[in-house]
Amino acid sequence: MLHPHPCEDHLIAAIRDRLDGGESFNTLAMRVFRHQFQQNRPYQNYCKALRKSPDKINHWHEVPAVSTDVFKLHDIPVRSFPAEMTRHTFTTSGTTNEVKGEHHFPSLALYEQSITSAWDQLELPRPQHAVILTANPRHAPQSSLSHMMGTLSQTFASSSTWAMDTDGQLDLAAIHHAVEIATASGEPVALLGTAISFLHLFEQLERPLTLPTGSWAMETGGYKGTRRQMQKTELYALFKEKLGLPSNAVINEYSMTELSSQFYTRGIGHSHVGPSWTRTRVINPITDADALPGEPGHLVIYDLANLHSVMAIRTQDIAIAGSPEDAPSTGFTGSREGGETFTLIGRDPSALPRGCSRAADDTLQS
Amino acid sequence: MTPTHDRIQLLAKACQDPSLIRFMGNISASDLSAWLDTELGHPDALDQFSPHGPLLSKATAPNTLLHIVSGNTPHAAFQSLLRGILLGSHNLIKLPSVGLPDLTDWIARLPETLQKMVETCETLTPDQQRKADAVIAIGSDDTIAAIQQQILPHQVFIPHGHKISIGIIDGDLQNAAPLAARDASLYNQRGCLSPHAYYVDESDPSHRGDALKFAESLATEMENFSQTNAPEPLNISEAGAVRNLRETTRFAATNSDSTRLWESTDNLDWTVIYQASPTLNLSCLNRCIYVKPKPTELNHHTLGNEVQHLSTIAIHPFSTATAQQLSSLPAHRICPLGQSQNPSIFWHQDGFAPLASLVKWQDLG
Repeated sequence: MLHPHPCEDHLIAAIRDRLDGGESFNTLAMRVFRHQFQQNRPYQNYCKALRKSPDKINHWHEVPAVSTDVFKLHDIPVRSFPAEMTRHTFTTSGTTNEVKGEHHFPSLALYEQSITSAWDQLELPRPQHAVILTANPRHAPQSSLSHMMGTLSQTFASSSTWAMDTDGQLDLAAIHHAVEIATASGEPVALLGTAISFLHLFEQLERPLTLPTGSWAMETGGYKGTRRQMQKTELYALFKEKLGLPSNAVINEYSMTELSSQFYTRGIGHSHVGPSWTRTRVINPITDADALPGEPGHLVIYDLANLHSVMAIRTQDIAIAGSPEDAPSTGFTGSREGGETFTLIGRDPSALPRGCSRAADDTLQS
Repeated sequence: MTPTHDRIQLLAKACQDPSLIRFMGNISASDLSAWLDTELGHPDALDQFSPHGPLLSKATAPNTLLHIVSGNTPHAAFQSLLRGILLGSHNLIKLPSVGLPDLTDWIARLPETLQKMVETCETLTPDQQRKADAVIAIGSDDTIAAIQQQILPHQVFIPHGHKISIGIIDGDLQNAAPLAARDASLYNQRGCLSPHAYYVDESDPSHRGDALKFAESLATEMENFSQTNAPEPLNISEAGAVRNLRETTRFAATNSDSTRLWESTDNLDWTVIYQASPTLNLSCLNRCIYVKPKPTELNHHTLGNEVQHLSTIAIHPFSTATAQQLSSLPAHRICPLGQSQNPSIFWHQDGFAPLASLVKWQDLG
């Protein structure tokens, strides 16, 4: 396999060891920043415009973050390796007319290591019998979410049912069959999908599905590219009603195409937490400084596994920074070794295209 | 219903209220009378039968006019209500959840006779909706579509969906810049009449590079305007959109000559972006404006999909002949630069004759 830089092997090993090998997050972050500054000319130009360079900064806080919209500038790809080494490209979802963001990779080894190591580090339940409500990665190679599901399936599951066909329709018969087999063996089922795919499932189920004891679900949240919206409490009430799953048996995953690591929470009202090779900040966009404790702002994510693009990503999601004391509230039973926590408020409404009549959509709802 | 003449006198007095002048300009009794005359053929067309070809005809205003207004600016709501009062209708205003204090404060200051003609609500019952003879809706395309589904066969429906505006500059850059800054800054760009982009003509060889020069001049004038007309404070969401736009643009600008960025220092007061691409992009509002070289042809192919949402094109220098050359574009209004935000009360908003579209007629003979 082609490796663009020994930095990748080093990071894979560090992530496999959960950063217990002696190097701190900051040391690795400075190394990744130097690599990206040297290998990624567009990013280097941007950093220079901000008067930042590896020689001028010594803390991950100072690494310039790029907006997720930068991944939509196809003429200026955010790539920290030679273009001819590109082997995989994940694209953002969205409507036909929207410009889609592109995240390029020379290999997915680091990406996959991040998925599986985070799963273990955060002590998430292993999906033994996985029922997956997304497209199979063979049919959707551009989908980072499908790839993540595939990685989880290959790494952890003894059986997997891909329950969405190539047209995006759920295969109810396959879901029922998978549940019957798991029930017969007395082993729990893990249902994995987007919030919208679960909504479709709930609408199509003629009667509640009885899952084996210990079953759980993971929803990825968000209704991007659709006109559907639902409060998390309403969605989780449906998990209870339709699948018999209490809220603490439902995990929410938060990530995006522009990242290579994921953040998780369980149930309702808890913070998200990421693995130890990530850090987060919440920035008040008015001052462009860290938001005050308890104050909402825009989430900035530092993800060492994003070696092949840019490690610091400025999202358009609103969050409130959590303090270390929030750690037990993530809902996970294991000891927390990850980065800071944050409470996700949601997608910034201003991130959506709009003309005039900004507040008009509430006219019929209020 | 009070006679039209009496209503005009009361309304003209109420139009002298500074809050209304701020949004609508000076409107006199003779303006209101002339407006009725122009649209309905006679200033007393609502009170008496007037000759109409071989017939005698009288206009009938909607008994109840429902205005569903949005919260971005009170401008459109003022226009809509003014029309309803002038026609003598009972006006039910569905306010947005964020409220419209400029409008409701003005209503509270109306003389009793006019105040009785206006009712506001924050939620709309099906019964209220059914009783309306005409419905004016201001909002996004989704909102308009949702309202349209509820319109009954007897109801007149006037939709004002989301719109954007642009400007076109052909020389005289120094004089154009302050006018353009005013149009792009007023009401923090939240209205349909707010320009999102200025197109600068570079077709003459002596004008090569004018778009870049204009962008620089515009940045200076945006700063000057903000010194005397500070923008309203931004919430986190609005500020986040401006930051995101600025940083994405900065990334592009540091890697390509086809993009440049000018921005206010130490605050988010204004942002000017030069882009060589002619595609019309939606600004994130709040005084963020694009400047682009004008393509040889202005049409759907060169400007992109947003062109179908054009409301106003402000041009400089303005002449009727120049304006007519742009009449093939789907904009309903072409006006002088600097006047984008000040349409005449006579204007056809979104192509509708605002009074004539609402009335029905009774004929004799």
